[in-house]
Formats: sequence, structure tokens, C-alpha cells
Amino acid sequence: MDLGSLLNALILGVSIASIWLIAALGLTIIYGTAGVINMAHGELIMLGAYSSYMLQFYLGLPYLLCLPASFVVVALVGLALERGLIRYLYSRPLDTLLATYGVSLVLMQGVRLIFGSDPKYLAVPEIFQSNVMLGSVSVSAFRIVVLLVTVLLVLALWLLFYKTRFGVQVRAVMQNKEMAAAFGINSGRIYMLTFALGAGLAGVAGALFGVLAIVLPTMGASYVVQAFLMVVVGGGSLAGSVVASGVTGEMQSVFAFFTNDTLARFIIFVLIVAFLRFRPQGLFAQSGARR
Amino acid sequence: MSALLSFNNVTSYYGATRILKDFSFRIEKGRCLCVLGRNGVGKTTLMRTIMGLTDRSVGAIRINDTELRGKPTHVRATYGLGYVPQGRGILSNFTVRENILLGTFARPDKSGDIPEICLRIFPYLKDNLDRRAGLLSGGQKQQLAIARALAVDPQILLLDEPTEGIQPNIVHEIGEILKMLNRELGISLIVTEQHIKVARKLGDAFLMVDNGRVVAEGPMTEMTDTLVERHMTI
Repeated sequence: MDLGSLLNALILGVSIASIWLIAALGLTIIYGTAGVINMAHGELIMLGAYSSYMLQFYLGLPYLLCLPASFVVVALVGLALERGLIRYLYSRPLDTLLATYGVSLVLMQGVRLIFGSDPKYLAVPEIFQSNVMLGSVSVSAFRIVVLLVTVLLVLALWLLFYKTRFGVQVRAVMQNKEMAAAFGINSGRIYMLTFALGAGLAGVAGALFGVLAIVLPTMGASYVVQAFLMVVVGGGSLAGSVVASGVTGEMQSVFAFFTNDTLARFIIFVLIVAFLRFRPQGLFAQSGARR
Repeated sequence: MSALLSFNNVTSYYGATRILKDFSFRIEKGRCLCVLGRNGVGKTTLMRTIMGLTDRSVGAIRINDTELRGKPTHVRATYGLGYVPQGRGILSNFTVRENILLGTFARPDKSGDIPEICLRIFPYLKDNLDRRAGLLSGGQKQQLAIARALAVDPQILLLDEPTEGIQPNIVHEIGEILKMLNRELGISLIVTEQHIKVARKLGDAFLMVDNGRVVAEGPMTEMTDTLVERHMTI
């Protein structure tokens, strides 16, 4: 066995993990806080990619500025979605499933009507298109950008949730909405802001995925399954999604090294099913009376 | 003199079921009102109605002449209501510190610091601020729930069965602390209680509840054994 290529697989695994994690971040936060399973998450990712495309194409915004700009644009879409639709459905979880699925179809078809079905491309600075040597391993520079952005976002979210007063409010609402309200916390406002935050994170993911792959109205679907798996395996907490992405990303990469991509994915799905059979609440489950 | 908190013909519902019926009472500033009655007569619902946690209520509820009707729970909380619910409502994933900080979100002055009083009267909490609240004993959780309600800087403490499920020596201690908060700091108390003895020591006035209605009320000295027998023995 070639140790060098195994090392290569492990490093690639970190990269895969970071992609899966950044796809899952927004979903994790929305599910973990409000208990809403946002079926439109993939389409919010897609909107992030199209936002970047538009900002680049029409305004000539440099790529690195497209990342925060896409966050803002998609967060605003999320805000409108929450105020206009989701907030009426918090006490009806099954209806949010259907409603957000409907939203995902509307977004996908809407974008198709406006931009057509042909792929768009995001331009990135020259330097991101090269490969970087890490020891004996060659990694695409852009994948390192994705990893860095993911690490920064996880760090920022951790600070936001565990070191600020806003974070105390969010975690209080997650544990016991009634007691949070009895101490002056407006849970409706918290849900609104976390939904917007989660949507914005999907926007950032989209701006990155638009470079890793091509920008298409249907691109969301390819990321959303992976994102859902991370949330379910992780149990809906930030730490859970980080660990779930890390472990499954490495497994995908290592299994693919010994077999191939398709079989590796098959093995992971089987393992996840087996894992959920014994721990249906996920790795780090939230305990709490949400409603 | 206007009352600090008053109910005027309040009817409160869970779904379509009336739990409180034409409920009226008032409490003046600085007083301690004990709400008495058997299990299931509506004492907890009274507390939840004040906080706006029942499905619906009609009738006038005023605090300092502000009408609470139609106001959501998180707004009511900012009018100086410190709520210590039945079962204590401690957030078990939070540390002791975070639980007390939760109370500060309802402070009128928006200060985010733990008020000194919360820790002064509960030395155990002071020494265990970073302990996970889920690990505390029942009595410690009750102390934490009171400290959290004090962090609101309340005009009224609403205490729902504060001595329920607590060992006897701590029952006495909590009784003394409540008396001190009432007599020395002038915080009004509304306490639901099953222990007649505790109620007699603590309260200025009583409110006897049966089947969702006020059946007797008055100064604590007028709470006769006949009343207790009629409405509290099973």
C-alpha cells in the first residue's frame, strides 16, 4: 500500500468534510433553533451562487467580496421567507416540510425562468486556480479557500452562540421557549434572526460551490442530501455537524481510496443508516422542550 | 391606592376548557399573598395566566395600571414580574451563571450583569457559577430559580409551589429567604402553597381557590381551620 496516496486521501478528506460542513451549517442552525426542516436549503445555496454570479457579472464585484455579499442577499431572502411564510407554521412541523419544499420548487423554477437552464460560471482570481503542494500532496488552492472560510464561519458561529448575549437568548429558546419568554426573550424575533442567519450561511456556501462546480438552477439538490445527513447524524447541534462532517468526509475519502467514489458513498449511507438505528437522536442531541 | 397587580373577572382557558372562572383579586405593593387550594383547582393556571402562558384569557389584568391583556409573555416579563414556575423551569444545559443571566433579559434597565443580591443570599450558587444546572439538587435548583427571578429586578415574585419536593430543612430556609425579600427589600410575593404552616408564617393575606374560583380571601389571621378543612382536605 502506498502511504503517500493514503495521506493524500486523508487531506482530501478534510476538504470533503469542509464542503459538506459548509453546506450543512445553515441547515443545522435553522433546525437546531427553530426545529424547522428547511427543504429549500439547497435552493438557498443555489441562490447564493446566482447572487455571486449577478454581482460579478453586472457590478463587477471582486470574487472575495461576493462571499459576504451573497450572505447578505440570501439572508434577506431568508428573512422575507420567514416573515412571509415560515413564522405561521412553527407549531406545525409537518406543514413546514411541505411549505419549504414548495418554496424550493418555486425558487428553482423562478431562477430557471430568469436565467435559463444553461450553466453559469463564477470567475475567481488567478491564484485560486492553481494547485498548492502540501508536503507531497497537491491540493487545489480553491479547496483551501473553502476550508478556511468554513473554519472561520464555524469559529464565528461558536463565538456568536457561546460568547454573546444573543447566543444566550438563542440557546434559551432552543431549550425552553416558554421559560425564555417568561424572562423577556422574544422567541419570534430569535427564530426570525436565526432563519436569516441560516439562509445567509447557505448563500456563502453557494458562492463557494459555484466555483467548485457550475452554477445551475438544480445545483442545490446535489448538496442538500449531504447537508441533511450531517444534520441528522450530528443531532442538530453545531458541534454535531462539525464532527459528523469530519468523520464522514474522511470516511468518504479513505473508502474511495480503497474502492471508488460510488461504492464509498454507498458504504457511508449504509453506515449512517446503521448508526441511526442505534442512535436516532444523533451524536449530540439537543435535550429540551421546544414546544 | 391602586393595586400593584389586579385581576378583574378573569377567565382563563386551555383549549376550550375554562380553568379560572371570573377570577378577581388584588395585591398591594410590598404585600405577600398566599394562594391556597387543593391540587388541580387552578393555582398554577393563575400564575400562568399572569405570565400570559395559557391559551387564552379574558377579563382585565393590570399591573401598575398597565393592562396586560393581549400582551405576549416576553413583554409582560419586562413589567417587573419574576416568575418561579412549578418544577422550577431550570434550563439544564445552561450553567448556573447562564440561568441567572437569563433573568437579566427582562430587566427594565437592560443591564447584562448578575445583580449582587442573587449571589449574596445564595452562597452555594456563587461558588458554583460554572456548574451545569442540570446537576444541581432539587433544593439548589429552587434557589437558582429564585435567584434567576431576582435578576429580573422584580416588583412581584410569582412563586409556584416553592417548597414542593424539597427536604424539610431547606423548606424552612427558603421560607426565611422569601420573608426577607418581602419584609426587607419590599418585593411583593404571590405564593401558591400546600403547606399551611409555611403559608401562615409567610403571608399577609390569603386567597382560597376551589374549582377555578376564589372561594375565600382576606388577611392571613382570618384563615380559619374551618376554611382549611372545607377547601383543602381531601
